Amino acid sequence: MTRDIPEAVFWCLLAVALAVVVLLIRERRITARLRGKVKVLEDDVRARDAEVRHLAAVRLPALMESLTGRPVVPGLLHGRLAGSAFATGLHTVLDLFARSTETARERADVSAKSALKSSMRALQGLANEQQLAISEMQERHDDPYVLADLLEIDHTNSQFGRRAQAISVLCGSWPGRQRAASPLVDVVRGATSRIRDYRRVQVHSQVDVAVTSRAVEPIVLAVAELLDNAARHSQPNTSVQVNLQHAHNGVAIVIDDAGVGLLEQEIHRAEQLLAGQQSVDIQKLGDPPQFGFAVIGILADRYGFRVSVDTQSPYGGVRAVVFLPTALLTRVQDDTPRSVPAARPVPAPPAPIRPPLTRRTAPAAAPAPEPAQASAPAPEPAAAQPPAPAPQPAAQPGTQPDPASGPAAEPMTATALGLPKRRRRQPLAENVNPAPEPAEPAAPQGRSASEAAAIMGAFARGTRSGRSCASDATDSTDSTDSTDLEGNSQA
Amino acid sequence: MTPRSAKRGLVRPYVITDGRAHPTRNTFDLVTLVSAAQGGDLAGLSPEKRRVMALCRGGSLSVAEVVGHLQIPVSVTKVLLGDLVDSGHILTRSPIPSAELPDIKILQEVLDGLRARL
Repeated sequence: MTRDIPEAVFWCLLAVALAVVVLLIRERRITARLRGKVKVLEDDVRARDAEVRHLAAVRLPALMESLTGRPVVPGLLHGRLAGSAFATGLHTVLDLFARSTETARERADVSAKSALKSSMRALQGLANEQQLAISEMQERHDDPYVLADLLEIDHTNSQFGRRAQAISVLCGSWPGRQRAASPLVDVVRGATSRIRDYRRVQVHSQVDVAVTSRAVEPIVLAVAELLDNAARHSQPNTSVQVNLQHAHNGVAIVIDDAGVGLLEQEIHRAEQLLAGQQSVDIQKLGDPPQFGFAVIGILADRYGFRVSVDTQSPYGGVRAVVFLPTALLTRVQDDTPRSVPAARPVPAPPAPIRPPLTRRTAPAAAPAPEPAQASAPAPEPAAAQPPAPAPQPAAQPGTQPDPASGPAAEPMTATALGLPKRRRRQPLAENVNPAPEPAEPAAPQGRSASEAAAIMGAFARGTRSGRSCASDATDSTDSTDSTDLEGNSQA
Repeated sequence: MTPRSAKRGLVRPYVITDGRAHPTRNTFDLVTLVSAAQGGDLAGLSPEKRRVMALCRGGSLSVAEVVGHLQIPVSVTKVLLGDLVDSGHILTRSPIPSAELPDIKILQEVLDGLRARL
């Protein structure tokens, strides 16, 4: 029995050893498998880490930039993650980021624009107010030195006003300032008034159309921006040529400068802005912001004119062409006749020397609705008309009834209220020659000067003699004889 | 009628005078008479100068009247008129000196005398 014990122990040990071996082998296999799995997972985690780092370092910044222009956003770093829940999560993050940035940007844009708009409108109002004050000063002071200073202030103020106006238009405001329909030449010169180098601008006009009142201010602003660009990007000793030309269904304002011109991509960008289709982001205008083209684009789109800058000027620089369709144009109206009744009293007092002017008496007679009053303002407008045959109609109302009233008598009529009314002084020869050539009235001026002096002298002598006659109280005969007598004796 | 403020202010005075404030000659008074010279060529004149010429073709006008019609400031008008005189477009005539004008007192007395008589 005791002999069996070692055998039994041996078998037990063998069994145990077998079991251990089996277990070891199994354990080893499991370990290997786990190790492999862990490695895969480690790789996976490393990949995701790398992916998250990539997201933070590359993709989100790229997305941020893409919102302000650059369109390429890089994809995943590890292609095998595509389609996984992790990748979807990352995509969602990107989307949310983009959307929130966009919203924030829009909100910032809106608030920036509204803040800018209101403050620029205030500035614009101030500039207009100041311009009015300057205009009044210019009219009040008749001193070249004061005027020189005022012109400079006026010039600076106009540029200031234009800037404020341009920014507020960019922010969605209207150009402001109602204007009457104005001749195109004046519109272009108005634009010239608002730029720094206005003296370099030369306007050549072959057209006589006017711009409708609603389009005056926007066109002035757009042309001013173009002129400013032209003058700013060319040598100070070159000129900026402006030509106004008739075109099919409209008029073209052609602005040529002798500057450096535009590069291909600048032209492309300018064309995009000038088309005025998309809304302008004020943050994309650069630093310092260049809003010229953007403003023009907005105005062109809103009012229906066209601007292009893609041609080269014969002088080497840019040729900008503003095309105004017929809808924005109107016939040029002769504003001189209208301006006469509207004229203010002359600021300085010629009254002590001269009889009251007609345009002063006309408003005084205006309240009385009599038929005679209707004719009162009429002769003056006719006299003021620029066309050459104007002098003849001007002579009609006053001088026709008695063409032979004598060169000495100034034709006097009366208003409806009985006030004396002075006619425009006619050249004396006109009474002799009822149908003079327009240039002729100027010819006899030299002769009539001496005559006028003689007349005035005779008048003075006459009054003096009249006084002496009155004091004498003896002379009961006609006073003209004595006047002549006195006049002759004194002469 | 358009209010005057809507018409004015489009073309600023410094553009009208090309930046100059001093007339080339200092002979203009508010009562200086100007008239168009014979045969002036209007080509190359600015719109304001053309308007001055158009006004003056009708006969003599005082500077004050030209100012009133043009609706631009007096001193600016003087610059324009100075240019036009220099270029031979207009002629000026000074007003009759005040020394030769009748005394207002005498005129009053004449009037009184006439009234007394009639």
